[in-house]
Amino acid sequence: MSYVPGQPVTAVVQRIEIHKLRQGDNLILGFSIGGGIDQDPTQNPFSEDKTDKGIYVTRVTEGGPAEVAGLQIGDKIMQVNGWDMTMVTHDQARKRLTKRNEEVVRLLVTRQSLQKAVQQSMMS
Amino acid sequence: MPAELKQEQSPSNQTSIAMMQEPQEMVEETVTVEEDPGTPTSHVSIVTSEDGTTRRTETKVTKMVKTVTTRTVRQVPLGPDGLPSMDGSSPMGSYTDSIDRRYMKNGERYITPQASSTLTRSYNNYNDSYPESHEGQYRPYIGHDGYGDLSDNYGSLSRGVNYRPRYAYVPGNSYRPDDGSFTLPSRRDNYGPVAQPQVPVGSNVDLNRSQPERFQPEPYGLEDDNRSLGVDDEGYELDPDYSTVNRRTSAGVPERGRPHKGRGYDDPIETEMVEERIPYLHGGYAAPLAQPERGSMASIDRLGKRSPSIDSIRKDPRWRDPDLPEVIAMLSHPIDPVKSNAAAYLQHLCYENDKIKKDVRHLKGIPILVGLLDHPKPEVHRKACGALRNISYGKDNENKVAIKNCDGIPALIRLLRKTNDMEVRELITGTLWNLSSYEPLKMVIINHGLQTLTNEVIIPHSGWESEPNEDSKPRDAEWTTVFKNTSGCLRNVSSDGAEARRRLRECDGLVDALLHALQSAVGKKDTDNKSVENCVCIMRNLSYHVHKEVPGADKYQELDASQTTSMGGSQKKKKDDAGCFGGKKAKEEWFNQGKKNGDLDRNFDTLDLPKRSEAAKGFELLYQPDVVRLYLSILTESQNFNTLEAAAGALQNLSAGNWMWSTYIRATVRKERGLPVLVELLQSDSDKVVRAVSIALRNLSMDRRNKDLIGSYAMGELVRNLPSRQQRSAKNLEEDTVVAVLNTIHEIITDSSENARSLIQTQGIQKLVAISKSSQSPRETKAASHVLQMIWSYKELRNALQKDGWNKSHFQSVSATPKGSKGIAGRSGYDDSTLPLVDKSQDNEKAGSRDMIPMDELGPDGYSTIDHRDKERKYKTSDNTGDASEKEPLKG
Repeated sequence: MSYVPGQPVTAVVQRIEIHKLRQGDNLILGFSIGGGIDQDPTQNPFSEDKTDKGIYVTRVTEGGPAEVAGLQIGDKIMQVNGWDMTMVTHDQARKRLTKRNEEVVRLLVTRQSLQKAVQQSMMS
Repeated sequence: MPAELKQEQSPSNQTSIAMMQEPQEMVEETVTVEEDPGTPTSHVSIVTSEDGTTRRTETKVTKMVKTVTTRTVRQVPLGPDGLPSMDGSSPMGSYTDSIDRRYMKNGERYITPQASSTLTRSYNNYNDSYPESHEGQYRPYIGHDGYGDLSDNYGSLSRGVNYRPRYAYVPGNSYRPDDGSFTLPSRRDNYGPVAQPQVPVGSNVDLNRSQPERFQPEPYGLEDDNRSLGVDDEGYELDPDYSTVNRRTSAGVPERGRPHKGRGYDDPIETEMVEERIPYLHGGYAAPLAQPERGSMASIDRLGKRSPSIDSIRKDPRWRDPDLPEVIAMLSHPIDPVKSNAAAYLQHLCYENDKIKKDVRHLKGIPILVGLLDHPKPEVHRKACGALRNISYGKDNENKVAIKNCDGIPALIRLLRKTNDMEVRELITGTLWNLSSYEPLKMVIINHGLQTLTNEVIIPHSGWESEPNEDSKPRDAEWTTVFKNTSGCLRNVSSDGAEARRRLRECDGLVDALLHALQSAVGKKDTDNKSVENCVCIMRNLSYHVHKEVPGADKYQELDASQTTSMGGSQKKKKDDAGCFGGKKAKEEWFNQGKKNGDLDRNFDTLDLPKRSEAAKGFELLYQPDVVRLYLSILTESQNFNTLEAAAGALQNLSAGNWMWSTYIRATVRKERGLPVLVELLQSDSDKVVRAVSIALRNLSMDRRNKDLIGSYAMGELVRNLPSRQQRSAKNLEEDTVVAVLNTIHEIITDSSENARSLIQTQGIQKLVAISKSSQSPRETKAASHVLQMIWSYKELRNALQKDGWNKSHFQSVSATPKGSKGIAGRSGYDDSTLPLVDKSQDNEKAGSRDMIPMDELGPDGYSTIDHRDKERKYKTSDNTGDASEKEPLKG
């Protein structure tokens, strides 16, 4: 998942569809994010490449909509409902996820294990 | 010798026998395999060897696809018949016609060039190079590396998987390689060069075919299986992939007898198979790990396509079972069936074998298994989960920690959510049950899995519906294994302290579902199963300290003062005072003793719960009076000691405390005729039941009326539970139980001289004095002394006592008891729930009358619940029993 500026980024992704849960007046997703181009990437415990300023999932609440949908802690979010998340600020990312009029968010996420699984299956 | 050899061989097919001897020579030959792209045609030809021998050879058609690399033949152990154990020589193939056979497949087959080829081969081995031969050698293994000529390397060949010592497969039938003589072929093989790998595939028994070699060029020469040629395992050229697979030990082709018996696997995919199959290399036939587990082979045998039958494993010494590092390496193999079989084998190996579990951990197998839980294929994650379950079981908690450290718990929960397969769910929940028995992991499990377990398992299987549909009748609980495992896991985690209890109480739907499940169990009269036991234990744990821990507890707290004054006031009341003072519930026969216990009691009787605007849900259900009925039904019906203990414990917990609910509960127990139920359980044979029940009675007697009733009807049973030397029928109870009973007696006679009198009447003094004087346990002694002192404090009874022959010294037996014990008791009272509230009167801290039961004095473990230690102890045992048992890997 290393990023070379100007070059297309390729990754093995998984589609995850999260149906937000309504709690009173709020729609909750059930996870937290970290990262962003305005953040310090070296603090990211989940990224392989410590210069990666992408958006990572830092916490998934148990039993929440995100967990049910299959999101895991440490996943990197590549897209949300079609909007890119690899080159956004933290706040922009948050906003794209928490739009009040959207009940469902469709994410593309990638993680280390996916990459490895594909490599392994290609080897065989 | 080669010459000789030749000779032997020359006679054409019949030479086989002669050839037999040769094999020995074959050692140490290095043959370079030539790549023979193919001697395309097969034809019978006569070859004249260098040395002039004439041979008739069948041509071999070889299309060798692969080149065999050089191999060094190692000493080929000769098999019994003197044939080199390696078998290799398939090529020897048939001398006979089988020409066609040779062709077989393009090259795949190793067609032994028939005699000639084989011969040549052998010759090669012997360093003769016959022109034609070599190629013949089919290198059958196409491309195998290193399958050199058979001959030489038998050893290596074997390894190469390629060589399959023909014998290997001899399935016995068929495939007689070629020449009619059957033996020949084998011999030839022995000699080596033959192409080994014969994969016996299919060779079907066509004798004529003689081509033993047909061999499918599997990449690894399928033969691997057979290969176990002889002994030298060395090397194994192992194919890159299967390191283990290829190991072939040239175990001296034991099978020598059967010439090629080639395995009759017709399966062309043998090579692949090989991979999958956990290679059983028989290095020396003694697979260190596998020996006893032939049975386990079955699981492994479930290879994708073809698996060595157990028979072949047993009889085929060439295969050796993989050792532990190999198995763990196979877990990362790209081919999925290999992974799943490796996991299954691992599960099998770990079954009840703590050493292997530890080794797996040291070899870092656990993170791999946890990773496999996320694998999409059911076979893989199912087997991985089974292996983890076995690993997590046992006294060694390091394995459990290792599982947790590589995020095993969230992975298990994730899989539980994803899968619908009941068996996988059983394995997952069983593993979680095992993990939950280790204290440090309990909170982790709660954090990751509580709500999921509740939503995925407890609620569905309990039959509880959060939005009850009015039309449908309430569903019954399903006592599935998954439910049992999950309830066991929650039982363990619920013992982890206040925070754990809070989380469980607040978990959405958990308490409701558990109560619903218990109600349905009572309704179906099925209260002895393990799931019910687990549920009741959870309820007991959650009821612990409920008066302190639930939100909003404060407002329910009874004022001590008022309570105590009322209690104080009732101190002197005799229960048999006139009339049905508590007339409202006059219908209770036994219980209604017209007491005049004071207004408070009456108030308690008629105490109304605060009006509820909506039904209670969640943790509030824990202390609604309805649960009393439930627990009493369980106490009445169940025969399971753990369940009985837990239900009594729950009542004990609920009736502790100074808050409104516990007051109400104490009264409700009485009203629901619970007291006789409890008293009857005092006759139980089980220590823990007696203990729990007596502490429950002790707490219940905080209610005045209860005290009176209990005093009159339970005193006999309580005294009967005390040990006595004379009474042979006295139960032999543990110290803790005796102390509990003594404390209960103490509590009952406190504030009620009537009860003290009935104690005297039941011959209790004798036992008490005996205990206080001669018991081995200091706690028992102390408790008995307290009781005795209390009795003595009733001056009006002293006459009766003295008439019976007792005097003061009996009652003040323990020297320095009052002060000393007070001190000790004061301190230890906090620790030991069974210690009586010592000397309340002497205790300066408590203001107020002796009647007040200083709940706080006792500390957390005071009356209210089972000692934390006890609880832990209890849970520990139940933890262990609760560990889901290991299972053999599923077979088939």
